[in-house]
Amino acid sequence: METIIVLVVLAAVVFWIVGIYNKLVTLKNRFKNAFSQIEVQLKRRYDLIPNLVETAKGYMSHERETLEAVINARNQALAGLQAAAQDPGNAEAIKQLGSAEGALGGALGRLSVVMEAYPDLKANQNMMQLSEELTSTENRVAFARQAYNDQVTDYNTYKQTFPAVLLASTFGHVGNAALLEYEDREAMQAAPQVSF
Amino acid sequence: MNFFEAQDNARRKTWQLIALFTGAVISLILLTNLLVAAVMFYSTTTGMASPAPFSERLVALPTRTWVMISLGVVGMVSVACLYKYLSLRGGGRAIAEMLGGSLLTRDVASGNASRLLNIVEEMAIASGIPVPPVYLIPETSINAFAAGLSADDAVIGINQGTIDHLKRDELQGVVAHEFSHIVNGDTRINLRLIAALHGIIFLSMIGHTILRGFRYGGSRRSNGNSGVPIIALGAGLLVIGYAGTFFGNLIKAAVSRQREYLADAAAVQFTRNPHGIADALKKIGGLSQGSRMTVAAADEASHMFFGQVHPLFLNSIMATHPPLPKRIRAIEPSWDGGFIDVDATGTVDTGGPDTVSAFSAVSGSAAVTAAAPERLVAEVGTLSTAGLAAAQKLIADTDNRLREAAHDSWGARGLIYAMLLAQDAEVRAGQQDLLAQQAEPGVPEYTRQLADAVDQLDAARRLTLTEMAMPALKSLSQQQYQRFVSNCIALIKSDRRISLFEWVLHRVLLKELRPHFEGPSRVRVRHGSLRSVAGETGTLLSTIARTGHPQDPSAARQAFDAGSAMLDIPVQFSDQPDTNFQDLNAALAELRRLKPLLKPKLLKACAATALADDSIVSNEAALLHGIAAALDCPLPPSIYTQG
Repeated sequence: METIIVLVVLAAVVFWIVGIYNKLVTLKNRFKNAFSQIEVQLKRRYDLIPNLVETAKGYMSHERETLEAVINARNQALAGLQAAAQDPGNAEAIKQLGSAEGALGGALGRLSVVMEAYPDLKANQNMMQLSEELTSTENRVAFARQAYNDQVTDYNTYKQTFPAVLLASTFGHVGNAALLEYEDREAMQAAPQVSF
Repeated sequence: MNFFEAQDNARRKTWQLIALFTGAVISLILLTNLLVAAVMFYSTTTGMASPAPFSERLVALPTRTWVMISLGVVGMVSVACLYKYLSLRGGGRAIAEMLGGSLLTRDVASGNASRLLNIVEEMAIASGIPVPPVYLIPETSINAFAAGLSADDAVIGINQGTIDHLKRDELQGVVAHEFSHIVNGDTRINLRLIAALHGIIFLSMIGHTILRGFRYGGSRRSNGNSGVPIIALGAGLLVIGYAGTFFGNLIKAAVSRQREYLADAAAVQFTRNPHGIADALKKIGGLSQGSRMTVAAADEASHMFFGQVHPLFLNSIMATHPPLPKRIRAIEPSWDGGFIDVDATGTVDTGGPDTVSAFSAVSGSAAVTAAAPERLVAEVGTLSTAGLAAAQKLIADTDNRLREAAHDSWGARGLIYAMLLAQDAEVRAGQQDLLAQQAEPGVPEYTRQLADAVDQLDAARRLTLTEMAMPALKSLSQQQYQRFVSNCIALIKSDRRISLFEWVLHRVLLKELRPHFEGPSRVRVRHGSLRSVAGETGTLLSTIARTGHPQDPSAARQAFDAGSAMLDIPVQFSDQPDTNFQDLNAALAELRRLKPLLKPKLLKACAATALADDSIVSNEAALLHGIAAALDCPLPPSIYTQG
């Protein structure tokens, strides 16, 4: 009689363990998937920036440094994105992307400030449209980032609480996944001034 | 077989399934008992001078042993089934993730993939079910599946190979086949089947493990004899396990094979294009991998796929699908027996952007006229070509900007918020403030931009857009979803009254999003006759009547009478001027529990009430949409094209 009970209990425990393993894998895949949403939006943003800089160059020929800083930051961020996209589970890559994005935000912020002194540029149709698209894309990036961070938090929380915490490292889920965090650009918080 | 019959049939099939399963478990119990007895026989007779024959030994086993072994087997099977049942509680999404699928969203999709998403969207709208999210399976073979406990949490899974190798017509055929499974309730049984079978199959998994463990540790044993019982046990469990797999596959075959023919036929009826699905099948025949799946979990779900997951000898009774040539011939009797060699042709080229109107197989001519209530009801849950044409037209007529908004998760929320903006300028300003405080940056401005286009849409168009926005909304994170719902509720409450459209929108959103984010819910059928829900029916018909004739109580009464004439039970007309949504919700909750075969009558009465004046105004159409959703009846878009 006892053997039977032991066997059944053993089976239940085995299934419980398998369930934990599967859930860890599922949660990890979910945040990796969520990353691909960010990737799409970030790529769109990076594609807009060279256009923006070209348009600005026409009016701001003396502001070489500021413009170049933006292009460099953008290239850095693009490289960071490609590295992170290879493996969103790699916390280092995500953190690097975060700081590259922060730097890009800073460079774009400085560009905005400098642009204040060039009212002709601000009134330029092309510029207005690009700024609008950039802001809209950045809103989407922020949203996708929020979804990604939510999924990462779900994964980390599950991994760190009982019972998964007992088995997580055995199953290969060692480090915490990294949140993608950086300061949002000031301009994003305010509604764009463009009128249609 | 119509939608309601199919639903009823699906329930009956479940009982058959349970019967077969019980038979299988009993056989397993007997086999295990025999096995253990045999093991004990060998272990006790080795070394005896004149061992008694096996049969005597068998009979000599104490009853207690039999009972305990049986209990043990039942215990194991139950634990295994329970585990699988719990892990599938997440609905369709759980299966897709189990099979290694990743969500295919609009922004990530391009070329062939976005064409697939267009096809899924138009078919969903045509059949009146929510647009299911699409998961991409990284396999090179041609296959697809549909999973879900109901249409609300349904997902469609597609192999990469399917997207690469099939043309639009063929993709349509495959997707139509999957949709017919969803609409006919097959997906629910299929999920139950996985849970049930897991209990039987896992014994062989244990057998495997024992043998493997023994192989590594057994060579150390000094006494060869004492090892034999354990090997025997392991091998025996393996045998029993395969006996379990045998029964399992028999059950699967019995339950699913016939339905594959039906689904193929439904696909033809839907697209009115037998060549689409026939060519897809021929391509499976012509591709070297065919429809084979490499991921291990596909075995458990093999009955849910479009094509056979593991190649077997053609006429094997264990096949989950009819043989390929038979399926092709059932659709195309004049088939010459040749497959389409896919390996040679390689991947299919999109040939330019996918324009919805450009390729409809049937000319997208105007509205479907389904004047009589019978016709309307007959259309519930049917996949018809006319419905498909109507859906394509609805989608093509939608403002591009709104369509794009519906297709990404950020925009979709803004779109719904825009639909909830009030007409009154002061209230609207208050709502914008609310959004500024509680929604993400950029949302109020975006909502304002969409509002111009949204304001011009009638309720019916808005509901179609909402359906189109479902996959994007389902890709929100849990926290984003909760914020979204609470914002919507706050917007609805901001003018201190609930309009009919707000009620319908709220119901549709919750109905379709809740199963995805909070787990599917179970509807227990409770009412076997309309008599027990007479009061609720009265409330329902009265509401429809008053909505169609808000200013004219006598016309409302007439409409009500037209509807109640369709029923053979007495119903009471309530002439309250304002709709009490609490009562309506309560009424619908009860009516949802009607036996499926009674719902057509109810719907017919509703349709008759709405059509009493020979026209359906936008409000009535929206209300019918909300009611059909509440009753789990997919209502195709033809009601929106009434005169």
